[in-house]
Amino acid sequence: MFITSQITDRISFLGESVFKFSPSSPTDFDVSVERVVFKYNYSGNNSILFGKHHTPIDYWNDSYHHGRVFYPTIYRPLLFDANIIPLHTTGFRLQGENFGNLKFGYDFMVGNGLGSTDVQDNDKTKSLTAALHFEPFEDFRIGASYYHDIIAKGAIPHGFTQPITQQVDQNLMTGSIAYFGKHFELLAESTLAYNHSDSIGRKQTSASYVYTGVRIANKLVPYVKVEKIIYQPGEMYYHKDNVTSLIGGIRYEISYLAVIKLEYEHDNKEIEGRVNMVTAQFAIGF
Amino acid sequence: MRLIIFKIFIIHIIVFAACLAVKAQDVPLMVVVNTKGPVPDLTFSQLKSVLKGEKLRWKDGTKVVIALMKTNTPAGISTCKKIYNLSPNDLNKLFLALVFQGKGEAPVFFNSVSELDAFISQTPGAIGVIESVPGNKERVIHIDGKESI
Repeated sequence: MFITSQITDRISFLGESVFKFSPSSPTDFDVSVERVVFKYNYSGNNSILFGKHHTPIDYWNDSYHHGRVFYPTIYRPLLFDANIIPLHTTGFRLQGENFGNLKFGYDFMVGNGLGSTDVQDNDKTKSLTAALHFEPFEDFRIGASYYHDIIAKGAIPHGFTQPITQQVDQNLMTGSIAYFGKHFELLAESTLAYNHSDSIGRKQTSASYVYTGVRIANKLVPYVKVEKIIYQPGEMYYHKDNVTSLIGGIRYEISYLAVIKLEYEHDNKEIEGRVNMVTAQFAIGF
Repeated sequence: MRLIIFKIFIIHIIVFAACLAVKAQDVPLMVVVNTKGPVPDLTFSQLKSVLKGEKLRWKDGTKVVIALMKTNTPAGISTCKKIYNLSPNDLNKLFLALVFQGKGEAPVFFNSVSELDAFISQTPGAIGVIESVPGNKERVIHIDGKESI
C-alpha cells in the first residue's frame, strides 16, 4: 500500500507498507512498514528527507523498492536475498536531482545502520551512504555509491536469524548502468563488499548482475539476466554460498498497472547445487 | 452494384478514420502558464525537462505544477507524441514511477481546456499544454521562439 501527501508547498510525505504472506502469522499475513519518509524541498531541486528509506545504494533498490509492477524481472536480483545490500536505512538524507545538461544527482545519508530497529538504534555508530549519478544521454544513467557501517556484536541485521558473534566493519562500493529506451533495456550493477572483523580480517564479496531486454510489439519484452555472487573463502558475516544464475523470461505489459511475466531460472549454487525453476507472475497496481 | 457501393463506403470510412488519427496527432499545441513563477520563454528541451517533472521549482522559488489534457483527448495525444515522445501508457508509467520513488508529483489532468486554463490562472507556478487556439495570448510562453508547437 502506497500513500503520498503534499502537506505544504515544500513538505511532503510518503509511506509504503507491504502485506506479505507468512505461514507463521496467525492471519497468514505480516504487515511490514517499508518506507516512512518526510521530505522538505528547501531549494530548487535540493531536498532533505528523514525517516525510513530504501538505502540509495544502487539503482534497483532506489528505483523499484517493492513495486513488483515496476520490476523488469519477477524477483529482485539474488544479492538482495543474500543480504548483501542494506535494504533500509532510517535516518537523514540529502537529495538532489537533475542538475545541468547531464542531469547530475546526489544522495548523502546518515542513518541508524544495520542491526537497528525501525524505532531504535542498537549502537552509537551511524551508517553512511554517498551516491552520485548522471545521465550522459536520455534514459541512460550511470551511478556509483559508497556505504559504510559498523555492525555491533550481538546485532541481528535484517534477514539474519541469529545475532552476529563479532563486530563487523562493512564497506560497500557499487557501480551501475541503467538504460531503459523504447526498444532496448539494460541494467547492470556490481557491488564489492568488504567485511572486516578482528578474528577473520577483511573478506571480499562481489555480486554482479546484468539484465537486458528487447521490446518487441510495443508491450512484449523478452529478457535475460545473468548474475554471479562470489564470496572470499572465510567470509563469516554473509552466508557464504557462491552462485551463478541465469534467467530467461518474457514480460507482457498489459498496461502501466498490470504486467504478466514468465521466467525460467537456472541457478548453480555452491551448497544447494543446480536448481531449475519456472515462475509466472501477475503484478498489478491500483 | 451493391458490393461496389459497400466497398466505396468502407474505403470512405477508412480514409475518414485515418484523417481523424492524423488530425489527433497533428494538433498544434501551446504552453500556458501562471503569471507567478514560469519564465516567458523556454527552449524545447527545457520545456520537456519541466514537463517530465525534472524541475521542482522555478527561479523565484515557486513550486512547479504541471497541468495536462487527459491522454485520451486530441491535445493530450498530441502532447504525448510531440513533447514527451511517449505513448499515453508510457507517460502514465513515467509519472507513476516518479511518484513511487518519491522524486516528484504527477501532473493534474483535465478533460477540457477551460478547466485547465482556469486551474493555470489560479495556481502559482502552474504550467500547462493545450491545443493552440488564436485569441487570448496573455499567458502563452514561447518555445524556441514560437507560440505554437
